Amino acid sequence: MDNEIPLPPPRRVRYRSPSRFALPGSGSGSGSIPSSFHKSRRFSRFDDRSSQPSSDPALFSSDDIPASGVENYHAPVEGAGRKRRYRGTWWGEQVIDPKRKRADFKEKRNVDSGVWMGSDDSFAESCLPSEDASNWGEDLLKTVLDPRAPSKAPNAPYLARASESTPILGQSRATTIQGPVESEEHKYAKAVIDTCLERGDDNVDLGGINLRTIPPGLLRPLQHLTKLPSLQEAPISENAYSSLQPFLRLYLSNNSLTNLDASEIFELKDLTVLSLRNNKLTRIPEAIRKLTALQVLNISVNRLSELPWDLLWLMQQGELKHLTARPNSFPTIDESDSIEWHGPFGNPDNEDRDMDEDDEDVTPSKYIPTFRDYEGRQAQDERIPLHVASGPVEYFDMEGRPVNARDQIVSSAPSLREVSLRAISRLPGVEQLTDEELNDEFPALVIPLIALARRARQEGIRHCSVCEREFVIPRAAWTEWWDCTPHENGMKRARVLGEQLRPLPFKRSVCSWACAPRER
Amino acid sequence: MASQTDSVYVTLVSSDGFEFIIPRSAACISGTIRRMLDPASKFSEALTGRCVLETLNGVVLEKVCEYFLYNEKHKDQVNVPDMEIPAELCLELLMAADYLDT
Repeated sequence: MDNEIPLPPPRRVRYRSPSRFALPGSGSGSGSIPSSFHKSRRFSRFDDRSSQPSSDPALFSSDDIPASGVENYHAPVEGAGRKRRYRGTWWGEQVIDPKRKRADFKEKRNVDSGVWMGSDDSFAESCLPSEDASNWGEDLLKTVLDPRAPSKAPNAPYLARASESTPILGQSRATTIQGPVESEEHKYAKAVIDTCLERGDDNVDLGGINLRTIPPGLLRPLQHLTKLPSLQEAPISENAYSSLQPFLRLYLSNNSLTNLDASEIFELKDLTVLSLRNNKLTRIPEAIRKLTALQVLNISVNRLSELPWDLLWLMQQGELKHLTARPNSFPTIDESDSIEWHGPFGNPDNEDRDMDEDDEDVTPSKYIPTFRDYEGRQAQDERIPLHVASGPVEYFDMEGRPVNARDQIVSSAPSLREVSLRAISRLPGVEQLTDEELNDEFPALVIPLIALARRARQEGIRHCSVCEREFVIPRAAWTEWWDCTPHENGMKRARVLGEQLRPLPFKRSVCSWACAPRER
Repeated sequence: MASQTDSVYVTLVSSDGFEFIIPRSAACISGTIRRMLDPASKFSEALTGRCVLETLNGVVLEKVCEYFLYNEKHKDQVNVPDMEIPAELCLELLMAADYLDT
């Protein structure tokens, strides 16, 4: 690095107080770093640099009550405990639910602080889940929560670090989680949800409890969550008149979820904030389209290689204003072959001019699209997602198998297979068919098709990304690259001219060959 | 019977003897029927314009013919409405779709 001011090594951010290392038994090893920490830095899924933090916004409280200084901290103050609380940056975001106690604020602190320095990739590597360090979060949590073996564990420094940054977590949760037993986490999650339902609390924090699956029936009751009016405390301030419409927030960050197929999350119509940060998800189901009230979504630090088109649909047609998708294992746009640049971004004139202006930075093979003046540009282009490029189109036959060329007639009417599968997917009880029942009761020819219908029922039927029709069997699919930088920074900043575009890959599926783009 | 290879209508016969007379272009949406009726194949169906579908009964074949006309009507349309399929028929229709290659 040729920075003039050398940056401090990333470790110092985490090992802020060295005195904490001197735990009983680990004193000799306080200077050494656990080997797993070293290993995790070697394998990288680091795909881009950004200055956007990928963590959920922090909560701050204000000291705007006059008598709330340090000197009379314990003195009883009129209206004490009713501090305003801010979500996001402390210098000016919206006040959130002021009624909640300060203890909730501490519970919200995560083991992973989420501060991620875009200028320093070694740090980002260590927090991305690589194959080698896949259990990093679990190990950490077990160490934190297991009071019996604080010194014997080989990664004792984790304990020091974690307890330094979140002193409350260990205390408040050690009693409820004993170990890696599956049902314990589910029991804990159930207790959290029951408490939220009882208090009318629309902030559901299931973060960092080592969830591997979401058991059926866990999240469903949240559909009926009702907020309670708080008028018992006098004096009544303006904050008492907050909306009773639940502003449902679900935090599932720092767990070990591997898939969300057929998940009840997507049944929560009121869900406005969803965090799936730091899990092991490999794909986001198309059913996310059902969350039409969703405003903030965090899916960073997972194993995603593409996003469903329905997510872009939520940004364009729905309420989604803040999408945090990086870091993840997305391919970069110049790694993908046979890309067709869309509209103004692929204009060779622009490309040439661009390379003349920039000097040795840009090589001809690595063209980086930028936001620039082009014909037909409108004011809203600075905020809406922009189509940058498209990948090659893959075609599928009537049973969903890939075919090379479109030799048959292009018809926009669905095939009879599709029509009957749609009807089958609506039959009662299809979603409960087991594989054995499928093999026993149905002719071999149609078993794979009925399995598709079952999946459609379980995950919610998919919608054609062109004509919005429902479909069971996709007939064509391709990847489109869209730049969503305004959404990635929560609509705080519009694009500026000359800004580099950082497009995200979205997978598009369509219901018929007529909906696929024309042959190129 | 005289050759009907160039006639506009074809007759589909179900296993229980019901006959459905539909336009040839609609029937040819099915790959199987298209190959049956192909004049080059010299099948008897191609000569007579009459296809006996032994695997389909009258109720299913009626729905299949309805689908053929539905497909024919909405081939080039942008907003295709859904076709109603009664729940008790959908599995048999899926089998028929597999057989008819459509």
